[in-house]
Amino acid sequence: MSENKKWYSLDLGLNKKKGSSGSCGCGKAEGGCNSHKEELSAEEFYEAAINASIGEERHKDGFEQVFDVKMDRRTAFKKLTASLLIGAGAVSTSCSLTTSGDAKEKAQIDWEEQFKGNYKLMTDDEKKKTVDRLMRSYELRTGKNISMTAENAAEDVLFGYAFNISKCQGYMDCVSACVAENNQDRNSEMQYIRIHEMKDGEGFKFDKADDNYYHEVPAEGHFYMGTQCFHCDDPPCVDVCPVQATWKEEDGLVVIDYDWCIGCRYCMAACPYDGRRFNWSKPEVPENEVNKNQHYLGNRMRKKGVMEKCTFCVQRTRKGKNPACVEACPTGARIFGNLLDPNSSIRWVLENKKVFRLKEDLGTEPKFWYFMD
Amino acid sequence: MKNKNLTYYALLFLIIVLSSCKNEGEYHSVSDRIKAEEKPYHGTLTSEELLAGRDLIKITEGEHTFLIPERKSQIKSFACIECHSKPLSQMKGTDKAKAHWDITINHANIETMDCATCHNGEDMNNLTSLTGRNIDFNLSYKLCAQCHTNQFEDWKGGAHGKKISGWTPPRASMTCVECHNPHDPGFEQRWPAQFNTQKAIERNEGLDH
Repeated sequence: MSENKKWYSLDLGLNKKKGSSGSCGCGKAEGGCNSHKEELSAEEFYEAAINASIGEERHKDGFEQVFDVKMDRRTAFKKLTASLLIGAGAVSTSCSLTTSGDAKEKAQIDWEEQFKGNYKLMTDDEKKKTVDRLMRSYELRTGKNISMTAENAAEDVLFGYAFNISKCQGYMDCVSACVAENNQDRNSEMQYIRIHEMKDGEGFKFDKADDNYYHEVPAEGHFYMGTQCFHCDDPPCVDVCPVQATWKEEDGLVVIDYDWCIGCRYCMAACPYDGRRFNWSKPEVPENEVNKNQHYLGNRMRKKGVMEKCTFCVQRTRKGKNPACVEACPTGARIFGNLLDPNSSIRWVLENKKVFRLKEDLGTEPKFWYFMD
Repeated sequence: MKNKNLTYYALLFLIIVLSSCKNEGEYHSVSDRIKAEEKPYHGTLTSEELLAGRDLIKITEGEHTFLIPERKSQIKSFACIECHSKPLSQMKGTDKAKAHWDITINHANIETMDCATCHNGEDMNNLTSLTGRNIDFNLSYKLCAQCHTNQFEDWKGGAHGKKISGWTPPRASMTCVECHNPHDPGFEQRWPAQFNTQKAIERNEGLDH
């Protein structure tokens, strides 16, 4: 097992079975870790941390993508600083008498989370472990339990979406449902969906449309259309990501590994549909409003400085449900389904209604169609 | 010698052309992928859990077979004959005239429709078609389909209306009356559920874009 691990494990003594049940990493029951003989010295620790991230390369894994690139010493050290801080924290908690077992476990989790590989390259076992760690970490921090899963894409499934422009009345119930479902930051009022109020007879003029109206709807002489992430089949946002933190899954969902994202926002610039959002501050959701049914690639809590976007509610759709926006829409303007299944509603729409996609000429192949009655 | 070189060039050209082909599993467009990989879904994901505990009826309309919710048990005043014990003509003029005070018809105009277009005064427990045939309250969509033929086509295909199930089979669709009040089927104007104050501030300050 340990040979297959893709990160460096810092043993804080939690898993130790033999010998005196040491309360700290160096195995001493009392007296702290003042004796430097058994403790990692600062230099050794430094070595280990560098080893863990760039050294040895025993296996081909996600680290390569980040560290196996030419960079000057300054950049390299900058990248290491964050990891070292966590490591230093872990060492100091493990060797302190006053910290509790919980704090040590938390430090251990933080360490393993910091050095885990890219989700895309994880085995199912590794996925389960990181999900377990994240659930435990949430429990340690808040005392509340969440349920997080890491279902893979189902076979013979390709998700697609259709939006009926004639039906949408601009009620924005979808937006509310999306925010509640996906734990978006409440402070910055982040929203994945935009409903554009357009003037009748003027066509799609996004620059003239209003996507933040507040008056009774539907307003006279206007029509409404929604945009969100279209989960393109040839997504430009994926191509530009320098660290492969975003990719297209087998079922067509374009997803982000929030723990691998470096927040460069290239994807945001590359998306022609304004489908991506950035966390400028630490996302906050009141504890009682947190949706606790989470997916690693979906609505789990994000951190400051990472991208996020609509995932077609991966935590719902990979269980067979419809996305929250589809369920919330009071007019039935939103159709969701499996494009590969010839008996699905979405296929009926594509084959029997006059459908079109936005900016089709870009060749991004969105899996999001518009149609009219 | 020259010929030999030409052959080499031709071979090289062929290799380049062949190797530049797209990999397996890559398609030029999403519709190509759909065409190549389509197959009816019989996977492990189902909507059974979502539908558990719901009273559903299986219907077949044209080439579509799907589930709809049972309706009669949801109608507060069903069965109608509990009050309508006599034909309507005999009950008229009694002091119970205001029994359905909460119903006002706002559906087409009076030349096109009145109560008797859908209700049969002789048989209040059933709906009635334009030709006077009985329509079960559970299958009230048939009544609507008499005039709203386009909507009916779209509903059958899954393009109009909402689903009770998720995207997975079995398909269960809401019927017309889950969303539309049959006596007043239009949707009201109302306030949107959201207003993004942050967006408004950013735009005021010109921070957006």
